[in-house]
Amino acid sequence: MGKAGYNSYAMAQFQFDRTAEWLGLDLPTRQLLRAPMRESQFLIPLRMDDGTMNVFRGFRVVHNDARGPAKGGIRFHPDETIDTIRALAVWMTWKCALVNIPLGGSSGGVACDPHFLSLREQEQLCRSWVRLLARELGPHLDVPAPDVMTNAQHMLWMLDEFEVLRGEKTPGFITGKPVGLGGSLGRAEATGYGLVFVLREALKDLVLPVEKTTASVQGFGNVAQHAVRLYQQLGGTVTCVSCWDQKDGTSYAYRRESGIDLEALLGVTDRFGGIDRKKASGLGYEVLPGEDWLAQEVDLLIPAAVENQITDENASAIRPRVKVIIEGANGPTTIEADRILAQRGMVIIPDILANAGGVTCSYFEQVQSNMNYYWEKDEVFGKLDVKMTSAFQSVLEFARAKNVSLREAAFSIAVSRVVQACKDRGWA
Amino acid sequence: MTAPPSIQPFDRQFFTGKEKFTAIGRGALGGKAQGLAVMKDVLERSLVPAFHPRIEVAIPTLTVITTEFFDQFMSENGLAGVALSDKRDDHIAGAFQRASLPAALVGDLRALIAQVHSPLAVRSSSMLEDAMFEPFASVYATKMIPNNQFDPDTRFRKLVEAVKFIYASTFFKDAKNYLAATRHTNADEKMAVIIQEVVGVRHGQRFYPHLSGVARSFNFYPLGHAKPADGIVDLALGLGKTIVDDGVSWSFSPAYPQANPPYNTLDDLLAQSQSTFWAVNMGWPAEFNPIRETEYMARYGLEEAEKDGVLRFLASTYRAHDDKIVYGITEKGPRLLDFAPILKFDLLPLTRLLRDLLRACEETLGRLVEVEFALTLDEARGSPARFGFLQVRPMVVSEANIEITAAEMKGPGVLVASETALGNGLLDDLQDVVFVKPGKFDVHRTEVIAAELEGLNHRLTSAGRPYLLIGFGRWGTSDPAAGIPVNFGQISGAKVIVESALPETSSMLSQGSHFFHNITSFKVFYFSVNPSDSRPIDWAWLDGQPCAEETPFVKHVRPAVPLTVKVDGKTSRGVIRHG
Repeated sequence: MGKAGYNSYAMAQFQFDRTAEWLGLDLPTRQLLRAPMRESQFLIPLRMDDGTMNVFRGFRVVHNDARGPAKGGIRFHPDETIDTIRALAVWMTWKCALVNIPLGGSSGGVACDPHFLSLREQEQLCRSWVRLLARELGPHLDVPAPDVMTNAQHMLWMLDEFEVLRGEKTPGFITGKPVGLGGSLGRAEATGYGLVFVLREALKDLVLPVEKTTASVQGFGNVAQHAVRLYQQLGGTVTCVSCWDQKDGTSYAYRRESGIDLEALLGVTDRFGGIDRKKASGLGYEVLPGEDWLAQEVDLLIPAAVENQITDENASAIRPRVKVIIEGANGPTTIEADRILAQRGMVIIPDILANAGGVTCSYFEQVQSNMNYYWEKDEVFGKLDVKMTSAFQSVLEFARAKNVSLREAAFSIAVSRVVQACKDRGWA
Repeated sequence: MTAPPSIQPFDRQFFTGKEKFTAIGRGALGGKAQGLAVMKDVLERSLVPAFHPRIEVAIPTLTVITTEFFDQFMSENGLAGVALSDKRDDHIAGAFQRASLPAALVGDLRALIAQVHSPLAVRSSSMLEDAMFEPFASVYATKMIPNNQFDPDTRFRKLVEAVKFIYASTFFKDAKNYLAATRHTNADEKMAVIIQEVVGVRHGQRFYPHLSGVARSFNFYPLGHAKPADGIVDLALGLGKTIVDDGVSWSFSPAYPQANPPYNTLDDLLAQSQSTFWAVNMGWPAEFNPIRETEYMARYGLEEAEKDGVLRFLASTYRAHDDKIVYGITEKGPRLLDFAPILKFDLLPLTRLLRDLLRACEETLGRLVEVEFALTLDEARGSPARFGFLQVRPMVVSEANIEITAAEMKGPGVLVASETALGNGLLDDLQDVVFVKPGKFDVHRTEVIAAELEGLNHRLTSAGRPYLLIGFGRWGTSDPAAGIPVNFGQISGAKVIVESALPETSSMLSQGSHFFHNITSFKVFYFSVNPSDSRPIDWAWLDGQPCAEETPFVKHVRPAVPLTVKVDGKTSRGVIRHG
C-alpha cells in the first residue's frame, strides 16, 4: 500500500476529470464514466478452523463494460477499501481500452490478511466470494484474476466453485490459472516484458540506444524481475534495485555500478521479491536506504512496486540525467510530482500503458480458455509485443499531434474509446 | 563480424519501409548476410543503374535475425545437451520446435508477418557458412514457406517453425561431420537467419522464378575456347534447388553463352537437361512437417511450366522427324530448357550482367567467387526482368605448382590416372582406401551404399584417418539411379574421390551442385575415369590389399605403403600411385 493520506480513487477521478475536460465530454457521459456502473459490497461469514465464526467484507466493482466483459483482479488485504477497488476498476477500464482489447474494467477483493488464515479458511473464503457473486461473474460478464496476495491456487478454488454452480466447465471464467490447468504460457513474464517492449519503442523515439542506457528499479517482484531480464537482454544496464525487507520492516536499495547480476540476485531473493540484505552485501552489492533508488545517476527510472512513490517531496532527488520514467506499478507518481517532472522535460510513460502487458496476457488467457486451445510461448509474446508496441505508437502520435504529455495522450485515447462504445450502445 | 553501419535496424515495415536490408538484434549477421551486406552498396552504385530499365537488379527485401538471438534461444531453452548429443536429426529438430524463441525477437517476426503475404525464404547465415575464407555451402537448411494463409497466426507459426528448423540444422549430423572435416567445433558456430522475399511469380498453386542460377568466376572444366577465368554459369527453371541439390542445369561460359553444353547426341542432351523444376507449393503441403526442409516445396514436370506459360522465353523444342532442336515452343515435341531467347538471341543482357557481377564481387571480396541469383521475366514480352541477387561466397583454388609427366601416368604402379582430375596439389600419406565393390555395385541399391559409406566415414573421421574413396556414377546426385546419393557430410573424411562413370550414364560431373563446390573448396582431389579408358582403375591390386572392414557393398582396405596422389590443376591431369 502507498503512503498515508493518499486516495487512489480521488486520483483516478482527477485524471478522468482532466481528460473529460480536455475532450469536452458532456455531463451525462462524465457522470457515467466518473464512477463505477456497479458495486457490490457484501459480508462473508466464515467458520474458522477453531470453530469460531468470523465475518469478512467482500467487494466487486465494475467500472464500465461497454467494450466487453469486465476484467479485474481480486485482492486479499487487511486494509482493503472500496475506494482502492474503485480506482483499480477505473484504471482497468482505461488500460484495456488503451491497448485495444475488448474488455471493460473491474476489480474486487476481500478485507483479510491471508497470513493469518489457514489454507482451508482461504479456500472457503474464495468459494464464498464466488457464491455470493455468482450471478454477476462469468466468462462473458466479468472475469476475475489474481492481484495482491492472491495466486493461482485461489483462482482454481474460485473456478471450481463457479463450475459446480454452473454445472459446466468454464475455464474462461477466471485468469491467472496455472499452465496446464487453463493458464497461459508467458503470463508470469507478461507485465515486465510488456513494459520493456514499450520502453524499447520510447528509447527508439528518443534516439537513445538501449545498450547505452542505465536504469534504477524500485521493487524486485514479478514485474521488476522480468522487466530487468528483458531490458538487460536488449543490452541495458540496471545499476540499482530496491525492495521491501520484511524482517527489518523497511526497504533497501542494492547498487552495483557495473550492473546487477540478475541470476545471482534472484538466488538470494525470497518468493515475495525480498532480497536477503546480508547475502546481497556478500555478493558485493552496496546496501543503501530504500528511497535512494530514486536518486541514482541513471537514464531510466522504473517504479515497479506500489502506488504513490514519486511525490512532490522527493521529486527533487531525481538526478538531471534521468530522461525516462516508466511506471511499472499502478499510480506510482502523484499528480504534483507528475507536474514537476514534466516541467523538467522528463518523459513519463504512464502506468496504464507501461504495465498493461499483464492484462493483455490475461486477455490472451481468457481467449485461449474460451477456445480450450493453448498457444506456444512464441505466439503469446509475439502478440503481446505487437499490442504493446502499437499502443505506444498510438499514444506517441496522439501526444505529438496534440502537444500533450504521454499520460494525457494515453488517457485521452482510452477514455475516447470507452466513450465511443457507450455512445454506440446508446448509453451516452 | 558485426552489422556494418549501412545495415539499418528492422523497423517493422518489411515491404513498405524505406530500408530493404535490415537486421533484428545487435549480434553478427553471419557469413551469407555479411557477403550480401558487403555487396549491397557496390550493387546499388554500379550495377543497378547500368542495367536499368531492362533488368531491375536488387537484393530481394530481407531482414537478418542476428546471432545474439541464437545464443539466447540456446541458453534460455537449455538446448546445448540435445544439440551436441548424437541423437538423430529429427530428435534434435523436434526438441528445437518445442523450445521458445526469445521474447525480444517474436514481436518483430509477428509484425513482419502481419505485413507480408507472399512466400518467404528462411535461410541460414552462420558465422562459418560462406565466410570469407571457408565456404560452407548448403551445409545448413533453407526453408521456403508460402506465407499465404489468411490467418496471421498460422503465418506466424510457420515462420517461427522455420526459424527454429534453421537453428536446429546447426546441429544436424551432416553439419557436425562438416565441422569436424574443417577442424571446427560447434562452439565456433553461431547461426544468424535471413528472412527474405522469394523472387518469383505465382501460377496457381506454384510460386517460382523463371530461372535460378549459380555463377562462378572460375571454371575448373573450361571447354572449347573458354578459359578458366571466364567462369561458368548454371541456369535452371524454378527454384535453385534443382542446381544446388539435384545437380541439373544448363551450363555455359559467360564468354560463349551461345555454345551448348557438351553432348554426344541430341538424345543425350535431352536426357541430361532439366525435366523437372522446384517451386514453392502455395496449396496444402503433402504433409505438415515443420522439420522437413521441403515441407512447402514441390517438384513439377516441364509440362506444368508450359501450362503456366513460362517456357516461352526459356525453352526450345526437339523435332523428332529430322532430329533437330528448333528454337521456341511453337511446335509440338519435347521441350529443351536451353534459355535460347536469353543466351542466343539476347532477349536480356543477362550474360553481361553476370560478367559484371562476378567481376564486381571478385574485386570487392578480393578472391574468386560464386554467386546465386533468381530472375523473373515479364511474361508477355520477356523484358523487363527482375534480377534477385541471393548470395555470394568465395571459391577456394589451390596455387601449388604441380607437374605430372606422361611417364608418371603409366606403368604398373598406377592405381588411377585421369586427364580430367580436379584440384591441385600433392598428397603422399594416404593409407586408407574405401571403395564400392565393382562386382556388387547395383544402381538400385545406391541408397544402401550411401548408408554404408556414411558409417565407414564416421569411423574413419573419428579415428582421424583421411581416405581415398572410389565409387560408380555421380557422387552427390539426388537421383539414386545416376550414382550414389550421398551428401558431402556423409563422405566428409575423403581427401581424394574417384568417380568411375557408369556405362549407361553420362560421364559429366555434377558441376553445378554444392556437392561439387564443396569438393573443390575443401581441396578434395576429384578424379573422373571412364571404364572404357585406356587406363582403368587397378581393381586387382585394390582387392589384394589387407582388408580393414567390409560391408555388403563397400570395402575398406589399408595398403602397407601410403599412396601418392598428384593433381595438376593447370592441365587437369591427375594420378594416384601405389608404387
